[in-house]
Amino acid sequence: MGWGNHKPAERRFPAAKQSRFSGVQFSKSKGRPEAQVTTVQPFQIRGRFFTALALRIAGAPDEAFFAALDTQLQQTPRFFAEAPLVIDLDQVKGTLRGDELVHIVHKLRSRKLSVFGFQHGSKEQASAAGSVGLIELFGGREAPARAAARKESAPAAPATEAPAPENKLITTPVRSGQTVFADRGDLVVVGPVGSGAELVAAGNIHVYGTLRGRALAGVNGDESARIFCQSLDADLLAISGLYRTNESLDASVRKQSVQVFLQGEDLRIEPLGNPQTRDRSAQ
Amino acid sequence: MSKIIVVTSGKGGVGKTTSAAAISAGLAKRGHKTVVIDFDVGLRNLDLIMGCERRVVFDFINVIQGDAKLKQALIKDRRLDTLSILPTSQTRDKDALTQEGVEKVLNELREEFDYIVCDSPAGIERGAQLAMYFADEAVVVTNPEVSSVRDSDRVLGLLNSKTHRAETPDSEPIKAHALLTRYDTQRIAKGEMMTVEDVLEILAIPLLGVIPESQAVLRASNLGTPVTLDDEGSRAASAYDEAVARLVGEQVEMRIGGEERQGFFQRLFKRTA
Repeated sequence: MGWGNHKPAERRFPAAKQSRFSGVQFSKSKGRPEAQVTTVQPFQIRGRFFTALALRIAGAPDEAFFAALDTQLQQTPRFFAEAPLVIDLDQVKGTLRGDELVHIVHKLRSRKLSVFGFQHGSKEQASAAGSVGLIELFGGREAPARAAARKESAPAAPATEAPAPENKLITTPVRSGQTVFADRGDLVVVGPVGSGAELVAAGNIHVYGTLRGRALAGVNGDESARIFCQSLDADLLAISGLYRTNESLDASVRKQSVQVFLQGEDLRIEPLGNPQTRDRSAQ
Repeated sequence: MSKIIVVTSGKGGVGKTTSAAAISAGLAKRGHKTVVIDFDVGLRNLDLIMGCERRVVFDFINVIQGDAKLKQALIKDRRLDTLSILPTSQTRDKDALTQEGVEKVLNELREEFDYIVCDSPAGIERGAQLAMYFADEAVVVTNPEVSSVRDSDRVLGLLNSKTHRAETPDSEPIKAHALLTRYDTQRIAKGEMMTVEDVLEILAIPLLGVIPESQAVLRASNLGTPVTLDDEGSRAASAYDEAVARLVGEQVEMRIGGEERQGFFQRLFKRTA
């Protein structure tokens, strides 16, 4: 059984600022009253990451399969109780029949595992999975296999404890089409970030150079994350799901050294090293 | 030690084949044994620019597939005995290229030539990736406009990740140079196109040369002559010659902007005189 970091919400941000239903919320910006519609909505749609378990099936669902599963479940019963679970069919794509898959799903649900999705299935497996209410998930990266015992003490709060930060340093230019992830900490780039490149970090993003691509900080929901850059010309800036595209950038911050941070529901961009603005933000 | 140089850009129509022809002829003119390979399978053009389209019997794909020997496919240039052309197939497509086949042909060429110039197709798919895969150096051809610069940036990313040197630990990364082509000082002065500084600021690689927009380039192409072998003595030709000198490691002062305008007036003066 492996850990999978699954993303029910869309991570990629649409370029069009009007698409309020696509998993992100458009930030209000000072001096742009036409973008204020979001405040009258009775709801907000935000991109959000959740952690799920992935059950990677490697063999036929016989007696031994369920016996081994039960042994595993009994070792840490509270950890697995009601845990969101995804079935990974990668290794049994051609071998596991649809009815066998349905059988597994029923057996898992009878063990109080909340199976909600599957990955890497064949056509036949997909239709069988659909018949028992599973959704197909794409992507997903392995999350670090944290000690299950540690989770034991707080089973009610899944995936909220922060893992030890792991920062990433890039000292070469980040080119168009490249994506750099720092999924457990800050991302520091010494060099330019080209238009069409993408920086994604759980923590802060620092760019010592011109930022022309996209920078997505605090992607796991950290609203205190910030983006710093030496010269701002970004395609898109986002913190914890709130984003702004290049066209909504104020002329006064373009090509400037700035920091980007969240203040309530507002994504603020302020020049660095300007005492006046610093005072204002401190109020 | 022979060097494999890929001429690439991502975007089409920026002057890859023209530059590959001019650079390989420039290298050969300096006495280096040079071969230029067309990787644009199915859309072959290099033979036309080099003026040897009627002499193609066997091609690169025939050699890869073992239907012909490398010696049979290589065409010796009539103007320079140090220059050879390896044309590609017009009837096949990029799937006919295999990594093993390309490697085998390049290794064989390495034994005979000082410089192997690979003329990459546009795009970033199979043909372009195989053209750059075994390269030691890269000439990234860029026009001073945003889409070309962005595509070049993308290609630089691929050069740093999807090539033999990038995938081999402890090897030097591919040395990439920017070659600015179709540089029109008048349009740049009007703010319609990007300046050299703008382009280099984005690409962050050394500049190999700046080739001015010139009638001579189109004329030379239509005549099947690499512009560096043209007798006209155009500014474009000398800019390519200077780029070649820098490519082989010489220090040549960069002439752009003001001096180019002077050259333009000088040419005008020469014509009216």
